[in-house]
Amino acid sequence: MPVTDSGTPGDSDQSVSLQKPPASADPPAVEVRGISKDFGSNRALDNVDLRIGHGEVLGLLGQNGSGKSTLVKVLAGVYDPEPGGRLFVGGEEVALPLAPGQASQIGLSFVYQNLALAPGLSVLENLTLGQRIAGGAWEPINWIAEHRSGAAVLDRYDVKLDLDRRTGELAPVDQARLAIVRAAEDLRRYRTRSGYKHSVLVLDEPTVFLPEEEVDRLFDLIRTVVAEGAAVLFISHDLAAVRAITDRVVVLRDGRIVGEEVTAEIHEEALVDLIVGAPARAAGTAAAETAPVEDQQAVGLTLAAMESAGDGKAAGENVLVEHLTDERLHDLSFEIGAGEILGVAGLIGSGAEELPYLLFGAHPAGFGTLRLGAETLDVAGLSPQRSVRERIALVPADRAVQGLSQSLTLWENIVMLVESEHYRRGIFRRGELVTLAREAISRFLIRPPRSHNVMSTFSGGNQQKALLAKWLLARPRLLLLHEPTQGVDVGARRDIYRFVKSAAALHHMAVLWVTTEFGELAEVCDRVIVITQGRHTATLAGEELTEEAISAAALRQTREDS
Amino acid sequence: MSAPAPVDPAPVDPAPVDEARQEEHRAERQAPSALLRTGLQRYAIVIVFAALIAGFGIDMPSLFLTIGNLSNILGSQAVLFILVMAVLLPTVVGDFVDLSLGSSLGLSAMTLAVLNVQHGTPVLVACLAGIGAAVVVGLVNVFFVVYFDNDPFIVTLGTMTIVQGVIYIVSGNNSVGIVSTNLSNWIFTNEFLSMPLEFYYGLAIFLVVWYVLSFTPTGQKALVIGQSREVARLSGVRVNRQRAWAYIVGAAIAGVAGIAYAGTNGTVDPTAGSALILPAYAAVFLGATAIKPGRINPLGALIAVYFLATGTVGLELLGAQSYYQQIFYGAALVASVTIPKVTREKFFKRRRTA
Repeated sequence: MPVTDSGTPGDSDQSVSLQKPPASADPPAVEVRGISKDFGSNRALDNVDLRIGHGEVLGLLGQNGSGKSTLVKVLAGVYDPEPGGRLFVGGEEVALPLAPGQASQIGLSFVYQNLALAPGLSVLENLTLGQRIAGGAWEPINWIAEHRSGAAVLDRYDVKLDLDRRTGELAPVDQARLAIVRAAEDLRRYRTRSGYKHSVLVLDEPTVFLPEEEVDRLFDLIRTVVAEGAAVLFISHDLAAVRAITDRVVVLRDGRIVGEEVTAEIHEEALVDLIVGAPARAAGTAAAETAPVEDQQAVGLTLAAMESAGDGKAAGENVLVEHLTDERLHDLSFEIGAGEILGVAGLIGSGAEELPYLLFGAHPAGFGTLRLGAETLDVAGLSPQRSVRERIALVPADRAVQGLSQSLTLWENIVMLVESEHYRRGIFRRGELVTLAREAISRFLIRPPRSHNVMSTFSGGNQQKALLAKWLLARPRLLLLHEPTQGVDVGARRDIYRFVKSAAALHHMAVLWVTTEFGELAEVCDRVIVITQGRHTATLAGEELTEEAISAAALRQTREDS
Repeated sequence: MSAPAPVDPAPVDPAPVDEARQEEHRAERQAPSALLRTGLQRYAIVIVFAALIAGFGIDMPSLFLTIGNLSNILGSQAVLFILVMAVLLPTVVGDFVDLSLGSSLGLSAMTLAVLNVQHGTPVLVACLAGIGAAVVVGLVNVFFVVYFDNDPFIVTLGTMTIVQGVIYIVSGNNSVGIVSTNLSNWIFTNEFLSMPLEFYYGLAIFLVVWYVLSFTPTGQKALVIGQSREVARLSGVRVNRQRAWAYIVGAAIAGVAGIAYAGTNGTVDPTAGSALILPAYAAVFLGATAIKPGRINPLGALIAVYFLATGTVGLELLGAQSYYQQIFYGAALVASVTIPKVTREKFFKRRRTA
């Protein structure tokens, strides 16, 4: 068996000699050789070789734009690779390109980030969707029998869901579990039907929607799937998850494989190096530690540009939230100092995820007061228009839909909030706005730095940076963030941390950072409050501000009483 | 800076993890009162229908509650009912408006009439020609909407107008009649259980459509395409193929409606069908609020058609002039999209997180 040559420099010793564990002489579940894909002049995948062993969990890592999702789409038959690539499934060659849907016939099952669930259909209909599509076009469906077997399937994976419920009404967590159960079942049926041993479950960013306790259940689900003989391709930004569940990891950068390691044998830092590309990271760390001049300039510029049209409002005010109550929150009160970054940690369902939207007026609140400096606002009376006037900013989790206009250009999105300030004497100063946007683009490191590109062409990380730029240009007193780095690659993530920290420090802006990535909170925030079942149950600061402490505190309510 | 003291956890319900999850799932399975509300939403139209019948019945028992009247209501709407089945298909797959189906009906009817009356073509052949003509329109739509990926509304608006023009040309802007009595017998004159045969043809088409949409994988695929096209595509469904078939079969059914029209009226005027397209859509969308709310479904459409028919016949019997029908249909269309919003706000206090 030829040793796989990854065709990449710098890692010859480590990866090339990887043999399958001696016990198994099975061919790999899936192997690709020499896969490339071009989009016009952009080489998204460059001669990629990848091998997923039988019964192995392989992690696939890489920044946005590294080619991860392109590779997945090639396997799914959505994209046709360039001629010359080869695909082997269970040791047998399969002709490329694959037809859409063919993947399921050769033992590949996919769960995408968007879950591919139809929200209008019931749980049962979504669960059996794959079967429907693969089966005959005219076989009569016995819904009663389907119901019974659907319930049995859910039981097998220990997932409790109402089969007749409209899928769109389920919590995101449950939707994710449904998607995974469906995929795992499709694989099981494939193995039974075909008699083959190999099958591969491809999970694309599965932990994004899941709080930590659910991540463990997900891993149990994965281990069950592996125990039955399937292999798993685990694509994720979540390094902790990858280290917990995978046997090996493969790193893609700029369309090429740059590293192939046994998970247990590589440190997280080294992984980050591979993903981001070592030189960039070194600069990153140094910068983070010494309040970089660049960032000061970045934020300073955007603020200064506005100061010219400024209103002379004093920078920095304390923020006080009092007696905030609604469906999920009970009498919540806390304070954010001017220039402080306050983290809010809570499991999904604790009510923490409501906070940014309530304070912004995006969701109607029951009751509560928001004090900004000397002003007192009734939370129930807030609305987005009012909040923007009061210089409160919201960066929502669903940035693509709620934060940015996908069909407008990058510069149009960035200047959206400050356009009116450039409309003088009946003339719209478009040139000024474009210049402003260009400066923001370069300072906020948005790539590619093309102001007239349509928003939808930018990756998740860059869209988030654009969104942040848009809000920071409006000089907020209070910045509300919800899952700001969800689906954002490592490099952009660090950029975002730096931008927010600088803005908070320089402009004495109060920041509320709500996320289920507790490690992020530990890294970025000055203080963290923990919300459990709608109540403020703990505060952490200083030395006790670690990921473990936060997780423990967030879980404590339930754990203590079990 | 005051750090709020951590709240004493004791007052909070101390359910351990597993029980908490069970609680959650029990809550997710709807409570009896919520089930009642869902039921209300689903069958609201049936309830209003019953009330309507009761209302008219009490007001004019001798006129309204007769077999003759029932036959009138069910029979007179047969053509519309068949057109509704035609309209249902492209709507189910998400191509929300195929405006040309009304004109296809007219083209089919006029083709049949011209061939049969002016050229002496045997009725059966003329019928097939009529349906064929409608299918041609369907193919044209497929070409421009599916193949070129254009907006269905805009394209079918265009084809509708074109077909209407063709009808005028073919008919010389005259009404054409009288179509062979053989046809009229088979469609309208002969009755079974006091109902004209065309009602049963409509019923048969309904049963086939209902069966396919509810009990076959093809129907499921169509449903997914209409609800979440991208999900369908990612799941390997051949989206464009299904859409194309929806247009073609829909057009064929519209052709059948045209045959029924010719048989019912005997004479075909050039504007046949154009007035029926709006009521057909009103019925389809109103039907989507019932039985399976939020989904285009044939049973709901059936109820909606006859609900609307009952309303208009009742109004006629009360002496209202026929243009009240327009108002009734239009109001039904608006109500059909507003009702779900109202019932949702009012009865379902679900909060959706961002």
